[in-house]
Amino acid sequence: MPLIKIDDKEIEVEKGITVLQAAIDERIEIPYYCYHPALSIVGSCRMCLVEIEGMPKLQVSCNTTIGELPPERKKDGKYDMIVRTQTEIVKRERENVLEFLLLNHPLDCPVCDQAGECYLQDYSYKYGRAHSRFLEEKRVRKNEYLGSNVIINHNRCIMCTRCVRFTREISGTNELFVQARGDVSKISIFEDKSLDNMLAGNVIDICPVGALLSTDYIHKNRFWNLEAKKSICTDCSVGCNILVYSQNNRIYRLNARENHNVNGYFICDIGRYGFHRYEDAEKVTSPLIRSDGGFKPISWEGALKEIYEQFSMSMSGEKQQIVGIASPFHTNESLFMFGRLMNNIFKDKSIIGKLPFIEDYEIHFDSGFRISKDRSPNRKGLLDFCPNLEDEILQKVKAGEVRLCYALDDGVDRKLDEEWESFFKSQRFLVVQTYAMTPLAKLAHLILLGPSPMEREGTMTNDQGRIQWLNPSVSLTNKTRPDWEIIMEFMNTVGKRELKYTSVNEVNLEMGERFPDYRGRTFFKIGYQGLPKKNITTSRPSEGRQAIQ
Amino acid sequence: MASFEPILTRHIHREDSHTLSGYKNVGGYKALEKMFKTMAPDEVIEEVNASNLRGRGGAGFPTGVKWGFIPKDSHKPTYLICNADESEPGTFKDRLLLNKTPHMMLEGMIISSYAIDCHLAFIYIRGEFYQEHKILEKAVEEAYATNLLGNDILGSGFDLEVVIHRGAGAYICGEEMGLIESLEGKRGWPRIKPPFPAIEGYLRCPTIVSNVETLACLPHILNRGADWFKSIGSEKGSGPKLYCISGRVNNPGVYEEPLGILLTDLIFKRGGGLIDGRELKAVFPGGSSSAILRADEIDGLRMDFDSLSAAKTMLGSAGIIVMDETVDMVSVCLNIARFYAHESCGQCTPCREGTTWLVKILNRIYQGNGSLNDIDMIFEITDNIGGLIDFSKGSFGKTICPFGEAVAWPIRSFVEKFKDEFIAYVAKGVEVS
Repeated sequence: MPLIKIDDKEIEVEKGITVLQAAIDERIEIPYYCYHPALSIVGSCRMCLVEIEGMPKLQVSCNTTIGELPPERKKDGKYDMIVRTQTEIVKRERENVLEFLLLNHPLDCPVCDQAGECYLQDYSYKYGRAHSRFLEEKRVRKNEYLGSNVIINHNRCIMCTRCVRFTREISGTNELFVQARGDVSKISIFEDKSLDNMLAGNVIDICPVGALLSTDYIHKNRFWNLEAKKSICTDCSVGCNILVYSQNNRIYRLNARENHNVNGYFICDIGRYGFHRYEDAEKVTSPLIRSDGGFKPISWEGALKEIYEQFSMSMSGEKQQIVGIASPFHTNESLFMFGRLMNNIFKDKSIIGKLPFIEDYEIHFDSGFRISKDRSPNRKGLLDFCPNLEDEILQKVKAGEVRLCYALDDGVDRKLDEEWESFFKSQRFLVVQTYAMTPLAKLAHLILLGPSPMEREGTMTNDQGRIQWLNPSVSLTNKTRPDWEIIMEFMNTVGKRELKYTSVNEVNLEMGERFPDYRGRTFFKIGYQGLPKKNITTSRPSEGRQAIQ
Repeated sequence: MASFEPILTRHIHREDSHTLSGYKNVGGYKALEKMFKTMAPDEVIEEVNASNLRGRGGAGFPTGVKWGFIPKDSHKPTYLICNADESEPGTFKDRLLLNKTPHMMLEGMIISSYAIDCHLAFIYIRGEFYQEHKILEKAVEEAYATNLLGNDILGSGFDLEVVIHRGAGAYICGEEMGLIESLEGKRGWPRIKPPFPAIEGYLRCPTIVSNVETLACLPHILNRGADWFKSIGSEKGSGPKLYCISGRVNNPGVYEEPLGILLTDLIFKRGGGLIDGRELKAVFPGGSSSAILRADEIDGLRMDFDSLSAAKTMLGSAGIIVMDETVDMVSVCLNIARFYAHESCGQCTPCREGTTWLVKILNRIYQGNGSLNDIDMIFEITDNIGGLIDFSKGSFGKTICPFGEAVAWPIRSFVEKFKDEFIAYVAKGVEVS
């Protein structure tokens, strides 16, 4: 392994990696714009120039690979390369490049969405000069729509072409190109093809400046007001890692979070803009009970009393009176509790079913990014914790038989067909645990108020068997109680248990005790990058990583 | 000035010099026959190496050495590209060769392809060369018809296809990596090196890009031997060279002389001196990308790669542009800056932004609105684009391709060497206001 020295730091690096990668790995700052680890190297921004001993001129660190020198040619007797990132000449060069970049830049940071997370701003502050020597009029162009969700502000663009390369190398859709030449060149779309692919939103993420803007977020908030929570996307079974930005319990935007075992650097637009579904939904704000054809609020105590009255009676009745409808949208912890309730308390009087999985078209990009056809986040977890799931529940349960039903609602995506609607209507008493007035909730006799996907906390198992942390990005509203807690109360009430879990961690630990695949998969251990299930010996890296390498 | 018998342009005055029969009548394709009969590819490389042939496109890289960079163990095909995208201002030598003796270049291409084991060669011809393209097409057609191209050339077992590709008129596509990108069907944005084209060029396969004139030299080297070729010109650079003389001279045109000829000889003898007997003021020795030389700097200056770089300029494409005493240097400088701002591909930050900035500043000075400060700023900006920090170390170049230097060099030299005129413009502006 080559031994190199960057400034004063000795580093042993893999042969063949670039100086910039080595510096990034060691957290030595070399500023850059056009480089992106997932994209090809063009070396055009000239920001990452460094001094390398023995080279006559400054080198772009993004395209300088580190090799091994024969022993007699080692620098200082032992180094394969000596890199300097803080010399006068390097600093001056950065200053010069920034001066060029800012010549025509409008300096409109006060109204720019990128302000606060802008590399042009940061580097100018750190490496740039305080005044401009440009006396002429700036080049001004109007903003344009590149696609239905992406606007470009040409004046802020620094022509790093990350977005162009993204549409060529990652999405493979080729919508973007550089129009014209030299000083008047600009990022543009072809006349008949707008930037509307399933990954289009990522160009906003990878834009190092405020040139590419989201129509969804533009001028809505400032970066420093937002709190970022590391979580995972729940819109398909891939489980992409995301950052959820919110302020005062309102979500403003979602960004991709790097995870080479899952999604690489990107997320799809379904997930990116998906959170609006929960905002738009008709919300439930309290437990509700059916009364005179409508619903009226009921306290949690009242709701539990109702449950006791309905369910404890049936404990002694005939076989299979209770139907549990589990949901692949819920966390492992909730499903674990739900399985316990059904299998340990109601035992053979119960049957666990599920609604048909929500499926849509599957998308594979050549770069390895994929969107699963399974649009529920936790099918694996559902099958793990409710192993006795009855597939043909409609046929199994004879129509008209007196039954009780406890359903975990799939949420706003769930549509009910006639068959299922009549199935639920035929229930004597239907308890639905949900956060919105979904078609299923409308049929309920009792609605238990659970958290929405952005409020849930727990683990989810993606389709590769990777356990990931679903971290709540907004806190629970007034009367909402965590799903696992509601089920625990259900167990305590109906089954006379004395479970006293105070947090999802405790449920998680208990779950690990009972399901060996999940043993030791605590929140602390899985962290923000997730871990594969125990019985999967090697994690199966998603193809995304391979494409990146 | 010793009389020199032209080699490349010896027969161009014949009516039929551009046809196959015309070329064959004067000994054309003899070198090819000789090569196929007597030489192995390695021997061809050795011969070219021994001849000290340096690329005529501008950089002056030894051709044989370049061939040697091709990986021996590569399983990828090798490509040859003839760079006929001649677009340097003041340069029109390749155009003459394409017009008058396209077969000489084709023969050179076949020789080069044989040496580097290439079976598909391209000619990237400048889009504006319409007439030349027609002639070249005809020549290639003739070559195919007589088995000089195609399968089993002249019974040697060597196959070669030649494809002509017309550019779309961008200066930057004359840069080898820009050319390769353009040939691949992409935007003509130079690709970052390394890897160099000899390792990964066209379609990421080993590729040699050679200038028309370089290729035209090859048949003569094989015919008459490396020693003969080496004997022409000076020690520092050998072989014949086409010089393009333009500007305020009596006889502008292309002249063939050995490398290392005196610049004064070219201007005053071959070029016939300046129009109306005016005084020489300045001259570009190698196209508009080279640093300009003042009249007092050219005495005894020899036109070869090393002498000119010692004089802080370059041979480049040997496009000699002569300016007389009446020429307004500020206006020429602005004109050149405009050209480069227009042709900058826009990829690298310094070149994209810097070239236009220079035009704006020069324009301001030209309009009489400049200040003395602007003159210093031009120095700084050109340094920032082209990085002309230390000539002795050769430590210049801050962009992906040499375009940055090509802008910075001439403009800086104008302001440096004719500072008085720039100051006069500034002063004039002050007076008016």
